[in-house]
Amino acid sequence: MTHIPRIGIGGPVGSGKSMLIERMVPMLAKEGYSVSIISNDVISKEDADRMRTNLATKKGLLPENLVIGIATGGCPHTAIREDPSMNLSVIEEMESKHSELDLIIIESGGDNVTTTFSPILADYFIYIIDVAGGDKYPRKGGLGIVSCDLLLINKIDLASMVGADLEIMQRDAKIIRNEKPFEFINCKTDEGIKKVTEHIIHDVLFDSVPKSAKSQMV
Amino acid sequence: MLEVHSPIGNIFDEGFEDLEHGDFERLKISRTEIEKRVLRKQTDCGTDIGFKLDPGVRLRHGDIIKNKDSKIIVEQLSESVISVRFADKTPTDIKILLGHMIGNMHRPISIQHEEILIPILADSEKDTFSKIIGHLIHHIEMKIDQRVFISQSGVTPHGH
Repeated sequence: MTHIPRIGIGGPVGSGKSMLIERMVPMLAKEGYSVSIISNDVISKEDADRMRTNLATKKGLLPENLVIGIATGGCPHTAIREDPSMNLSVIEEMESKHSELDLIIIESGGDNVTTTFSPILADYFIYIIDVAGGDKYPRKGGLGIVSCDLLLINKIDLASMVGADLEIMQRDAKIIRNEKPFEFINCKTDEGIKKVTEHIIHDVLFDSVPKSAKSQMV
Repeated sequence: MLEVHSPIGNIFDEGFEDLEHGDFERLKISRTEIEKRVLRKQTDCGTDIGFKLDPGVRLRHGDIIKNKDSKIIVEQLSESVISVRFADKTPTDIKILLGHMIGNMHRPISIQHEEILIPILADSEKDTFSKIIGHLIHHIEMKIDQRVFISQSGVTPHGH
C-alpha cells in the first residue's frame, strides 16, 4: 500500500484551521494535486460538513466522500497524538482505495498550545494561532508553537484593532522558532496562503509532479 | 534532491564512537524531526535530502546516508534534559511514587545507568518539578544537561 503524505493542522479553537484548509485546497487543486480531508472534533462534524459543502459540493475540487468528519468524543489531542487509531483506520482505507491522492490533510479539533501530532499519523505539522490572542502569543511558546514544522499567525488584519504589534510577533517567532519557518496569513483575503502551499509542495511533496499529471504522461 | 528510503547503516553500530571528529557531511536534525517518516532538510554542505522512509524504517542518531561517493551522517541535535538519579538506599515505594510523578509530566523518558532522563523546554521546569515532588526531593539528585535525547525503546512516548 502506498504511503500518501499527510499534513496535520492544529491550533486553538477559532484560530482558522478549517478556513486555512478551505483556502489551501483550491490552490493545491489548481496545481493539480488531489487532496482529501479528515476533520477531527469532539462532538460536532460541523467543520467537516462545511468544508464538504464549500470545497466538494459547490466547487467540485474533490469528491464529497473524501471529506471525512471524525467525532473523537474526548480531548482532541488524544485522537492525533496518544491514540491516533481512529484517524489511522480512515487513512488506511484512503490509501487502499484512493491511490490517486497526493496529500491527506488532517485537522485537529481546537486545542491548546501543547498540541502535537504523533509522527505515526502526520508527516508534517502546521500549528496556527491568530493575533487576537495578543502579540505575546509566539514568545509564550508551548510544544505546538516550538515544535511544529510551520507556524502560521492568522488574522493579521485584526492586529491594529486588538493592539497586537506584528513586529513584536515576528521578532519573538524568529527567536522561539530557531530558524524553523513561520508565516503571517489572513485566511479571509488569501494573504500568505500561497506561501503555505509552497512550503507543503516543497517540504512534504518534494516538488513532485501531481499523480494525475504523471498518469497523463504515461 | 537526494531521495532516501533507508539509511545504509549506523556509525555507532560500526564501533565508531566519536561523531565530533569524523570527516563527514552532516545532517543536523532535532528529535522531533528524527521521528518523521517524510522530511526534507539540507546538510551542512548544502546537500538537499528528502526522506521518504520505507515502512518500518526509522531514523537514528548516527545513521549513514549514501550520497554518490561520499557519506552523510544523521546527527541529532542535543537539547536540554533533566537527569534524575535516586540517592543510595531510596526505598522502593518512594521510587515508585517518584516514577508516578515523573509520568505525570507527560514527557518521553530514557533510563540509562540508573539515571532517568527527561527532555524539557525551559530550565524553569526543574524548579517546577522540584515543587511538585516536595519533600521527596531529598531522595534524588537532579541536574540539567545538554544531551542527545533518545526515547526509551519499547514504548511509544509522547510529550505535551
